[in-house]
Amino acid sequence: MAGLELLSDQGYRLDGRKATELRKVQARTSVFAQADGSAYLEQGNTKALAVVYGPHETRGSRSKSLHDRAVINCQFSMATFSTAERKRRPHGDRKSSEMSLHLKQTFEAAVLTELYPRSQIDIYVKILQADGGNYSACVNAATLALVDAGIPMRDYVCACTAGFVEDTPLADLCHAEESGGGTSLALALLPRSGNIALLQMDARLHQDHLDALIEAAMTACKGLSKVLDDVVRQHLEEVSVLTRD
Amino acid sequence: MRDTPLSNCERRFLLKAIEEKKRLDGRQTYDYRNIKITFGTDYGCCIVELGRTRVLCQVSCELVPPKDSRPTEGIMFFNLELSPMASPAFEPNRQSELLVMLNRQLERCLRNSKCIDTESLCVVSGEKVWQIRVDVHVLNHDGNLMDAASIAAISALSHFRRPDVAIQGRDITVFSPEERDPIPLSIYHMPICVSFAFFLQGSYLLVDPCEQEERVKDGLLVIAMNKHREICSIQSSGGIMLLKDQVLRCSKIASVKVSEITELINKALENDKKIRKEGGKFGFAESMPKERITTLKREEAPVEMADVKETANEIVNRTETPTEVVSSPVLVAMGTAQVGEGIVNSWGLDEDEEDEPQTEDTKTDDVMVISDSEEEEVVILNEEAQKSTKLSKRK
Amino acid sequence: MAAVQVSEAEKVYIMHGVRDDLRLDGRGCEDYRHMEIETDVVSNTDGSAKISLGHTDVLVGVKAEIGKPRAMVPDEGYLEFFVDCSANATPEFEGRGGEELGVELSNTLYKVFNNRHSVDLRSLCICPGENCWVLYVDVLLLQCDGNLFDAISIAIKAALFNTRIPKVHISEDEEGVKEIELSDDPYDCMRLNVENVPCIVTLCKVGHRHVVDATLQEKACSVASLLISVTHRGTVTCVRKMGGGSLDPESIFEMTEAGKRVGKALHAPLMELLQKEESLGKKRQKVGFLG
Repeated sequence: MAGLELLSDQGYRLDGRKATELRKVQARTSVFAQADGSAYLEQGNTKALAVVYGPHETRGSRSKSLHDRAVINCQFSMATFSTAERKRRPHGDRKSSEMSLHLKQTFEAAVLTELYPRSQIDIYVKILQADGGNYSACVNAATLALVDAGIPMRDYVCACTAGFVEDTPLADLCHAEESGGGTSLALALLPRSGNIALLQMDARLHQDHLDALIEAAMTACKGLSKVLDDVVRQHLEEVSVLTRD
Repeated sequence: MRDTPLSNCERRFLLKAIEEKKRLDGRQTYDYRNIKITFGTDYGCCIVELGRTRVLCQVSCELVPPKDSRPTEGIMFFNLELSPMASPAFEPNRQSELLVMLNRQLERCLRNSKCIDTESLCVVSGEKVWQIRVDVHVLNHDGNLMDAASIAAISALSHFRRPDVAIQGRDITVFSPEERDPIPLSIYHMPICVSFAFFLQGSYLLVDPCEQEERVKDGLLVIAMNKHREICSIQSSGGIMLLKDQVLRCSKIASVKVSEITELINKALENDKKIRKEGGKFGFAESMPKERITTLKREEAPVEMADVKETANEIVNRTETPTEVVSSPVLVAMGTAQVGEGIVNSWGLDEDEEDEPQTEDTKTDDVMVISDSEEEEVVILNEEAQKSTKLSKRK
Repeated sequence: MAAVQVSEAEKVYIMHGVRDDLRLDGRGCEDYRHMEIETDVVSNTDGSAKISLGHTDVLVGVKAEIGKPRAMVPDEGYLEFFVDCSANATPEFEGRGGEELGVELSNTLYKVFNNRHSVDLRSLCICPGENCWVLYVDVLLLQCDGNLFDAISIAIKAALFNTRIPKVHISEDEEGVKEIELSDDPYDCMRLNVENVPCIVTLCKVGHRHVVDATLQEKACSVASLLISVTHRGTVTCVRKMGGGSLDPESIFEMTEAGKRVGKALHAPLMELLQKEESLGKKRQKVGFLG
């Protein structure tokens, strides 16, 4: 949008952050008692809720089960009140189907599915409030939910968005920055090995800037992984205190 | 109808070949198949053949009221369909994962990159704008649908001409193509998708995978770029792990390929423009090659002839003489059929057969050709073997 | 709802307990589970509320938009309900599995709430016959452990209480075209009067007695239930019988009386709580799911 300065001269963004600063991340696991694993994550104003059921027997058609691995089934949906304009269909449209597909592929790479042949793991993610970085919030929340459910994974899967304005890469875009027409890259990373599980970029970017952009996103993801790790450890401490005596 | 699954044998073969940097059709790792772009008689219709993959794209336009959130911009609508004629695996009216992925990638590649100037599509702000509809149909699936679809879409958009409009106050007059020449769309740049398939946990990659290679792949990376080296979209899918250098390397390869393909598209557009101007025939019918055999030439193939004589003699010595010897064995060349000619009827004449003396030795050394075939060439092969049979008999 | 398999022995056990006014978790027949309510959880909406009733979690968001009033009642606004049974609650709700339940719930909510006795619909009118406020009430089911209607109705009441509709100024142009201006001041807003908004009480018949706030297991033992919406004065606005079993006319009367009692007792503490929450104002720490 013309007129909105995404990066001011002093280096401050629309919400007062610096170029490489992430938004405040708050998370909590075991939000729901009925599900096998659940997590709630807030990244700035974006709120995501993830619930994991499984591993359990393959529901529906038996033919979908694989003989040597578990099938991961994902559904991404947004609450109708999550966006500024009311959304009519929470899920089922093309964008949601695409996101569900990407989530499924991301976690198929990260979860040790060979340990659960012929079974199914369901991951359901819901966006309660959308303010940029929907996909990344989902991935982070789903990682925490999987950890809460006790499903073994290769590593935390952390995701973050990055943008590019006037030769400076920006980390963790909010909605105004994303829809401003500039570049936005979403990256899902396994921090310890540096493997990229998913890479998605829209809008034009010159090839020479690609390196810097990916690098900025990777650094942001590594920072996020520390936060997620802290949340998991804190939760474990709380639970162990309760069950100790 | 379900797709025939790939056997483990084929899978192992393909993966082993990829390990040794060989591909089924003999291409190199970074080679594209032959791309052929043809345009139809209408403006905005284009068929792209990428090897055996065939994709048809049609662009059409319509005047509609604009979206509320963007009253001064035109609307672009993309639709990709997997026609069941393309592959037995495609069923009509079924939203498969592949369809969703292709549609979204096409939308992201062409819409988000803003390759078309949508503001120029506005006729009356807030009331009437042009809606450009791009329909892509897959006619034959032999791998790499994404690239073919993006090439077809952008070629069709470049080829398309929309009707001219005149605005007088509140009246809008749309001119038909006869009244006024239609106007081409204003295209900023041509984004083209390049697909990289990864195999064996990301250690090997191939550009432009064919259908069988696609089946054994681990994951796919699609990079959409234009010839100015601007990346329009990157999408990795399939659950593979990538390293940053792999992505950067792929982007470099993609830039080279994209510039080649853009040149090809431009050349095809030029050709088409030239033909239309000169009044020559254009369209799909003209572009299909006439497959009529005008000459038939067989290539010479070397044959090992070192010990033919010895082996032939051996065979002749080993075999028994036939009970019945015909005066002139007629050996027919390929492509001819003879019914009821040449050999004596041997049905129901058992007693006579044995008594028949072998009087039918060739009286002459010439071979008599008993055939009514119209083919001028009746090649009698193996004259030497014939002569040696005669010799052996005489012995 | 999430399917719970209850064996015959468990059913008999539950019924015997209810007969003696003793339920599985020690409650009486007319006791509610532990309830937690919080409003203003989602900032994108004009009003929102989150309620957890035992293990049932419901999130309600209210968005106000300007629309055309209905032809038959040109001087009233209206409410639109949408219930989203998300897959979070149970894997059976994935894809289109939750649609049936969602449609059933929203239809019932229409009947209960969308009339001028419950909500002052006239205050939603801007220009009679031309513009009015349409309140889109979106209910999100996060966790399902029985007694959905009660939880949803309490959440809707809280969300409507929390809704802030911006004040409108109508200005007339030279040509007579009316222009609607929304005031930019976030504090210059209109609040809804939720005094008359009813609360739904679901009574399930287990054996010969009825139970308020049934869990999934108790629901599996009952064949019929009665849904009563009660206002704060004790007036019954809507009665509905659900389930495949039959109810004795006497028991219906009994259940209605019990429902009135329970419902009436719900309203006062609820309003008190909402007022207290509001009075905390800006300093209130928004907990949401992080608590």
